[in-house]
Amino acid sequence: MAYPFSDFKYSDGLSVVGISFCTAIVCEAISWVLIYRTNSYKNLRSSIDKASKKLETMKTDSNKINIKKSKTKKIDRVETSLKESSRDLSLFKFKSGGVVALVLFVVFGLLNSLFEGKVVAKLPFKPFGLIMKMSHRGLQGNDPTDCSMAFLYFLCSISIRTNLQKFLGFAPPRGASAGLFPMPDPKTS
Amino acid sequence: MKEGKSVKLNHQQPHQNGHLTPSKFAKLFDPEASWDKDQLGDVLHWIRQVLGLACGFLWGSIPLVGGIWFIIFLALSTGIIYSYYAVMLKVDEEEFGGHGALLQEGLFASITLFLLSWILVYSLAHF
Repeated sequence: MAYPFSDFKYSDGLSVVGISFCTAIVCEAISWVLIYRTNSYKNLRSSIDKASKKLETMKTDSNKINIKKSKTKKIDRVETSLKESSRDLSLFKFKSGGVVALVLFVVFGLLNSLFEGKVVAKLPFKPFGLIMKMSHRGLQGNDPTDCSMAFLYFLCSISIRTNLQKFLGFAPPRGASAGLFPMPDPKTS
Repeated sequence: MKEGKSVKLNHQQPHQNGHLTPSKFAKLFDPEASWDKDQLGDVLHWIRQVLGLACGFLWGSIPLVGGIWFIIFLALSTGIIYSYYAVMLKVDEEEFGGHGALLQEGLFASITLFLLSWILVYSLAHF
């Protein structure tokens, strides 16, 4: 294979990154088709955004003014609505996540067949524990700084997909995370 | 066809990442500006990513070898993020969920991006 970086000893690393990047784009395209372009997702997202912002406003106001019973009830109602929408959103994504997971699994299998037993990169540090198990997976030899495809693919999956989602605006709204793991309520302290 | 729709969808997004106008750039350095939670979170996220990529390239090019440099990267990027929102912007962190929430913004993605660029540049440039 004659391409510009073929002279480098570890050009396989670039191949892994390139394939991972294309995979990330394919996964986001699939997610867009199955999730993000649908009306139900847009409705869910906008209701989460509204409830989240409303909750922030109400909590800010409630800190300034004396807490009233009606205020507390309203806050509870908005919080409940937020949690329900967040749960619906999670369920919605979970249904379509299977397709994305399948794509990631297939690509991993492909990369595995291409680079099994190959050192695709050299680590600038000595890994240990779980990291070493991943970075040395399927490799011969005793050099702990040898890097296998699996570790590089893992790093690509996290960094590229996360940032791609963020860039395209597909990242989950922050209100959703607040709904899943409720912060300690100021009114109880 | 699909890409056209995708572009439209992007334009409909309230927060247009990567499309900052000059006035919005000025806001990045203005301690008087008011910040929405999402906006500040996005800014801190992308600063983290740029730091991860830049440090990875730098560490890999020199090269800096050893696990200690991973710790140094963590300390450096966290220090820069803290200096940015606490010293330069002077935001009240309690309004944004506290120090923990702000410092965690984009942290894991930044770590993986740093490791990826460090490993790749080191491997390609020095072997």
